[in-house]
Amino acid sequence: MAAVATCGTGAGSTGSMVAAGSKNNVTSFQRRGPRASGSDSSYSRLVSIAGTRPSVRNGQLLVSTGLPALDQLLGGGLAVGTVLLIEEDKYNIYSSLLFKYFLAEGIINGHTLLVASAKEDPADILQELPAPLLDDNVKKDFDEDACNHKTAESNIKMKIAWRYQLLPKMEAGPVSSSRFGHYYDVSKKMPQELIEASKWHGFFFPEKSSSTLNIEPCSLTHGYIKLLQFIQNIIYEEGFDGSNPQKKQKNILRIGIQNLGSPLWGDDLCCTENGNSRSLTKFLYVLRGLLRTSLSACMITMPTHLIQNKAIISRVTNLSDTVVGLESFIGSERETNPLYKDYHGLIHIRQIPRLNNLIYDVSDVKDLAFKLKRKLFTIEWVQDNYLRQERNIYPPGFSYLLKQKDSAWGEGSLQHSTFLMSFLAKATAFASRLVRHSEPLEQTGSGRALQAAGPRLWRDGRRQEAPGLLVTPP
Amino acid sequence: MESVLALRGLVLLRDSVEWEGRSLLKALIKKAALGGEQVHILGCEVSEEEFRAGFDSSINSRLVYYDLFRDPLNWAQTGEALPGGPLGALQAMCERTDPGPVTVALDSLSWLLLRLPCAALCQALCAMSRQHACRGGGPAAEQLCVLGLLHRELHGPGPMGALSSLAQAEVTLSGTAGQASAHMLRRRPRQRPTLETLWFSVLPDLSLDLQGGPPLESQPHPDPHTPQVDPASHLTFNLHLSKREREAKDSLTLPFQFSSEKQQALLRPGPSPATSRIFYEPDAFDDLDPEDPDGDLDV
Repeated sequence: MAAVATCGTGAGSTGSMVAAGSKNNVTSFQRRGPRASGSDSSYSRLVSIAGTRPSVRNGQLLVSTGLPALDQLLGGGLAVGTVLLIEEDKYNIYSSLLFKYFLAEGIINGHTLLVASAKEDPADILQELPAPLLDDNVKKDFDEDACNHKTAESNIKMKIAWRYQLLPKMEAGPVSSSRFGHYYDVSKKMPQELIEASKWHGFFFPEKSSSTLNIEPCSLTHGYIKLLQFIQNIIYEEGFDGSNPQKKQKNILRIGIQNLGSPLWGDDLCCTENGNSRSLTKFLYVLRGLLRTSLSACMITMPTHLIQNKAIISRVTNLSDTVVGLESFIGSERETNPLYKDYHGLIHIRQIPRLNNLIYDVSDVKDLAFKLKRKLFTIEWVQDNYLRQERNIYPPGFSYLLKQKDSAWGEGSLQHSTFLMSFLAKATAFASRLVRHSEPLEQTGSGRALQAAGPRLWRDGRRQEAPGLLVTPP
Repeated sequence: MESVLALRGLVLLRDSVEWEGRSLLKALIKKAALGGEQVHILGCEVSEEEFRAGFDSSINSRLVYYDLFRDPLNWAQTGEALPGGPLGALQAMCERTDPGPVTVALDSLSWLLLRLPCAALCQALCAMSRQHACRGGGPAAEQLCVLGLLHRELHGPGPMGALSSLAQAEVTLSGTAGQASAHMLRRRPRQRPTLETLWFSVLPDLSLDLQGGPPLESQPHPDPHTPQVDPASHLTFNLHLSKREREAKDSLTLPFQFSSEKQQALLRPGPSPATSRIFYEPDAFDDLDPEDPDGDLDV
């Protein structure tokens, strides 16, 4: 009776009863883990830092850039210890948005932030971060977006250009709730309590600059020196470089530097062609050294459209690890081009690093365009627009002939089949030309073309060509 | 009309040799003074008397004028010159403004750009708005307006680009046949920049007369916008199908799909042998490769 009464009171009491029961009969199969016994277990804990994941290709530790679409293009995310350089668009609208996504992602994951700017106060930048989208809201909004966008076009499966359906599609929306990258709603601001709960350091250059020193031509400008010292202090004091053996959890330092290279940093790179060109490149070199020895990731936005000396842009690109360029269509002639009418700008992946690797991780797709929708920043392949309509990929004359039902080239006729076969054979023969030349040619009577085309079958112990494709009918 | 008065932040008035901007600058100063704002002027290019000419006495008494024209390098060593050169003058102007709406006119920004390093000038301009915000307590966006006169031909693309990236609005002066126009490009912090064109003229008493459009006899040809580029127009294959063609295409069975009609066609004894037969008699010089009947495989 007492047992029943306690069962009725609540789940907690029953739970404790059950737990008490299990403690009494200790089985031999006890789970040995970090929580099991009080002593330090000999098992090494799997140290996983919040908001990071290892890359699937080489195990490099990655953090999210705040934009899952960009993460996908960069091969999974931004590697810890590297620099992501964003070349700003002309009016600095989309690059500042990417900057905010990066910082917001840091807040959501609990990383420490370091925000450096010469134009705006970092506190003001943090107030304007976009709010994160929760999963259930996101699914609902994405579905209604998808319904509006996909009309009857996508329901038609492509008949002739069917091979294009097998291409990997860009993930435009949150199809699965992943803890690695989050989605943000630009129209709403991040809640104040999240910002206050986060740990951040701000570097606002006009406040930190004390006096104007005499700078020799080839050294760092005053602003860059101050910024590097600030970053170094934070890394050392907070132990991101492993200098203080930490008892607490390891964390990532996200560094965001806005408008690097603009005149507000004291650098006349944008103003003249023959200015102090070594300053910015030295800064990047030292910064990369600081980052490689610490658990940090850095995003820099740079107004490269203002830099007059184009050689410096290539030097800067080489000194950064990942370089992404944004080009918006505002005010340019591409705005009227119907090819780009659904998009707001182009995104160019200019460089992807080879970290502990021999090959690049570059995606094959080159023409990428972005679009800022109500709540999502999507990146798509420009040709997706074209391929949503079906395209005829056959040579000009053939399609017309195919359509004629009653002509000599109708379906089932010899001409039809022969033309089709020879066309396909020539296509494959042309494509496999390179392969064929590397093989030793057997001088059989049937000719060289036979060796490439068609599957080879073993029948009756002898190799035989698959009948029908290139054998002349008797 | 209201958009002209609502200029805030750093405004660049880019004029040229044909279309001078000082009269527009003076007209804007007059509007600001009549609107009750404090007006501070840094005069570098023309003398004070010449600048003040055209304003009536009530407005003249409200203008606070800092003169760098008479003695820019302070050779006369009088005590009234502003210390620190042009940069010092800018900072002094900043400090002497009271909280509230202020219009600062720089005549001209080109003069300053030629004598000061561009980076220092950009930093000083940004510092002006920030310090004013600190003092006034209100957001600097609504309080301070810095009008800078910039002569387009004097500077290269570098300094112009750097100043444009800092400015909240750029007014480019041009015109046709005696009618001046102002192309205003406004950059708002998180929105798309807007471009509008105003036709105006400045009357002798320095008031601004805005007209709706260009005078009739000189219709300027509109900006030659590229006509809608149709990428599908000059192709060798046909991307647009007529209705009949589309129907024919849709009802087509593809060669790799094994449909029931095809099955029937194969099961039937064969198409009528009278149609679709090619008869060819190879002659002596013909060298037919049975695998490559057209002889165009380039191997």
